[in-house]
Amino acid sequence: MTTPLFAVECVRKCYGGLTAVCDVSLELAEGDLVGLIGPNGAGKTTCFNLITGADTCSAGRVLWEGRNVTSLPDFRRARLGLARTFQNIRLWADMTALDNVRAVCRGSEEAGWIDGLLRTPRHHRVERLVTGKSLALLARLGIERFADTRAGDLPYGPQRKLEIARALALEPRVLLLDEPAAGMNPAEKTDLMRMVEGLRRDLGLTILLIEHDMRFVMGICERIYVLDHGERIAHGTPAEIRRDPKVIAAYLGTESPC
Amino acid sequence: MDLPWLPLALTLGPTGLWWSHLLVTVGVYALLGLSLNLINGYGRMFSLGHHGFWALGAYAAALFTRSYEGELPGPVLLALSAFFGMGVAALGGLAIGIPCLRLKGDYLAVATLGFAEIVRISIQNLPEGLLGGNIGLSVPRVLMEVEPATRGTFLLAWCAILLACVAVVALLVRNVVRSARGRTLLAVAQDETAAGLLGINPTRAKVATFVLGSALAGLAGALYAHYQGTIAPQEFTFLEMVKMLLVVVLGGLGSISGCLVAAFLLIYIEQALQLAGQETLPLGVPPLPASWTWLAQWWSVVYALILVLLMVFRPRGIFGPRELPEVLRAWWRRRRPGEAAR
Repeated sequence: MTTPLFAVECVRKCYGGLTAVCDVSLELAEGDLVGLIGPNGAGKTTCFNLITGADTCSAGRVLWEGRNVTSLPDFRRARLGLARTFQNIRLWADMTALDNVRAVCRGSEEAGWIDGLLRTPRHHRVERLVTGKSLALLARLGIERFADTRAGDLPYGPQRKLEIARALALEPRVLLLDEPAAGMNPAEKTDLMRMVEGLRRDLGLTILLIEHDMRFVMGICERIYVLDHGERIAHGTPAEIRRDPKVIAAYLGTESPC
Repeated sequence: MDLPWLPLALTLGPTGLWWSHLLVTVGVYALLGLSLNLINGYGRMFSLGHHGFWALGAYAAALFTRSYEGELPGPVLLALSAFFGMGVAALGGLAIGIPCLRLKGDYLAVATLGFAEIVRISIQNLPEGLLGGNIGLSVPRVLMEVEPATRGTFLLAWCAILLACVAVVALLVRNVVRSARGRTLLAVAQDETAAGLLGINPTRAKVATFVLGSALAGLAGALYAHYQGTIAPQEFTFLEMVKMLLVVVLGGLGSISGCLVAAFLLIYIEQALQLAGQETLPLGVPPLPASWTWLAQWWSVVYALILVLLMVFRPRGIFGPRELPEVLRAWWRRRRPGEAAR
């Protein structure tokens, strides 16, 4: 059996007496496109926070290519190739769209503080490289005309796309998308679906996404994990999930016995 | 005839000296404002301990100059002592930054304020042979002696030195903010969680900025010590911190040109007020003629009025986070449609 690219083993998160995520396990193989669904408050975003290190696990392990990264701080995990977007957009609002991407983008060479202060040749080299890469990413997402706009002034759709461009600037291997289609109309959602599939194909990404829109999730994901009340209640292909009685119960409720 | 506006021209007459002295002071506060702007403006950290780094730089430069006096040519000694002051202040920034920058908001403010008070009170209470205690420390004149005949040259030289330093520091601050590392700092300042999750090390960005800001405050301290000729712990109080904060906040958090304008506006007027009524001035600068005491009486009203007007009409600072060219462009664009309508 090969080691999965990325795995979460029995992670748990308790806030005082409340268990937000209880012993959830996930596995992602290279090139997977997996959905994570569940009713509101099921613990999906908490799960993302545990995976990325935004929050610490109360128990369990997070594995990257079989290596335990549970105690690694968030920015180190990100540099391994684990990028994410946010449910509530968290762009750096006072920076331009281009600078949002450039802040994350790294070249093969790094310019230190002194390089920037004194404008050394290395500063200029890195700056050219990073600017070129970042503009290419904005173009890929179709928002290059907003490059010099303050991120906070962008319309909603481009903001969502800028979040994805910024995550891609990390050159990730795994991309976590937290409700990428939230607030979009059906046509925009279809575009987004095509784009997500395109990103996976062209960049060889492994994608895990949280989404409430079932047409979206069922349409592009090969596998789906379902969470409810912090527990993993189902796992399978979209067709299996659609028929799973536990999932139906979680979303629609069951007839109460009394 | 005593024309009231005549002294405004920086002549070498007695009142001209007085204005030059103010200009040097403005330069020192501009440096302090620019460096604090890195930390509190661009970095959005709330430091209240900048006067501590200013004092560190001043005392380090003073000690350096005292130990190497006569062994090195004057300008070299001035430059080396300034670098030494910057180095000591930077080390102080590093020592405080690493433990404190995990704190946020008010907690960081209290911790840094505590540090600055420790610096000041330590200087005051160490044996007098070491740092001069309450009496203060004299700094040997390395460029020229200040005598009545050379006073004009001395003040003009210092105006030039301060002007050059302010220009260089403004350029450095601009450079660092518009560089790869500067962008990581801005990102951390605006959303630290997002920055961390996107591969930016927040602590490193904040500590580096804090150290750089402290070093530049150290430079201001070194220049101040050399210019004044004596330094004492009473000069580095929290009141000075408040003035620096006023310069940064009223200039616009994250605006270099705003900082310079605010330093000029606030410190010039504040110092003019403070010194207009005094009989004896530092460096033997002659006091203003008695017919000028109205300055002291009325400018304090003007000063307070400026603060009130700024808070009412420009609560985000004179320029906000923008720079002068941008402000002018925006203003011009606002005017154009009106003209077209007419």
